[in-house]
Amino acid sequence: MPTAIITGTSRGLGRSLVEKLLNEGWSVFGLSRNSNEIKHEKFTEKLIDITDEVSVQATVSEISQSCPSVDLLINNAGAASMNAFLLTPGKTAEKLIKLNYLGSFYCLQAAGKLMVRQRRGLIINITTVAVPLALEGEAAYVSSKAALDSLTKVSAKELSTQGVVVIGLGFGPLDTDLTRAVDKEKLNLINQRIGRPEGTTLTQAVDFIFQHLNSKNLKSGELYYLGKI
Amino acid sequence: MISRSQSLELILHRLKLLGEELKKPGLISANEQTRLFGDKADLDSMGLVTLIADLEYDIQQKLGHTVTLVDEKAMSRLTSPFRRVDYLADYLVEVLNTKKS
Repeated sequence: MPTAIITGTSRGLGRSLVEKLLNEGWSVFGLSRNSNEIKHEKFTEKLIDITDEVSVQATVSEISQSCPSVDLLINNAGAASMNAFLLTPGKTAEKLIKLNYLGSFYCLQAAGKLMVRQRRGLIINITTVAVPLALEGEAAYVSSKAALDSLTKVSAKELSTQGVVVIGLGFGPLDTDLTRAVDKEKLNLINQRIGRPEGTTLTQAVDFIFQHLNSKNLKSGELYYLGKI
Repeated sequence: MISRSQSLELILHRLKLLGEELKKPGLISANEQTRLFGDKADLDSMGLVTLIADLEYDIQQKLGHTVTLVDEKAMSRLTSPFRRVDYLADYLVEVLNTKKS
């Protein structure tokens, strides 16, 4: 049975992905700072901070020794912050770059090495429509995700020669803890701009990810969005 | 601990496998003087990356050490440890024996 590593599995999209993958028969390793309390024989939780490069390397190394192959990495862990650019504390920008970009960089590098050795694998970086829309009030968040998008494109060029596919899957606002505190009117405006006035549920996001997981026509380096961009 | 001959054996074994995969006879019959990158090398840049990833895996499996062979110190050396097989063999000995102590 295939094996997946997912980051940010304590709640939201990451937790839903774990449940869906387990239902589909996958073995799943969840990398997260907090537990999601899921008990399943095929689920292994690794409580780590993915912004710590050494921890990521050690954890992925441990995983590689406990299973024959790693078929999928989903870089899902992330944080958002909304603030006018001129009022955004530098610490906020630093935190977002560390988690949204560097954390994914470390995971992609560690899992990418395994996959290059296997000469196959799929890496999905979760991104956002906020980048192509250049959403005002989200400068720090958009910049960190734009860095991740560039990482997707460049790493895809390098790894595709070794049978490893890297793509980005982007969403509008999902109904999670990340967006619950955001002004509803602003969320509605974004959803209308991407042609999804009803918004996007976690189930729809998970289905979108699975649709690409099962696709035979993925173009490595491509960013795919749920919604009109 | 790893000896120089074990280190060389590890590298040549991996090069042989890569050579068979990439259909490059020069890699299959590699020796200490074989260039790993540059004009006269049989590996392209991604081939070298693959070799390093494979070696890190072998080291983990055979010696139980998790190592990262490419770091800033390695990249800033006047003579790159990744230029030729013998340089890489020396470098593996240095990295692994330093790690052990």
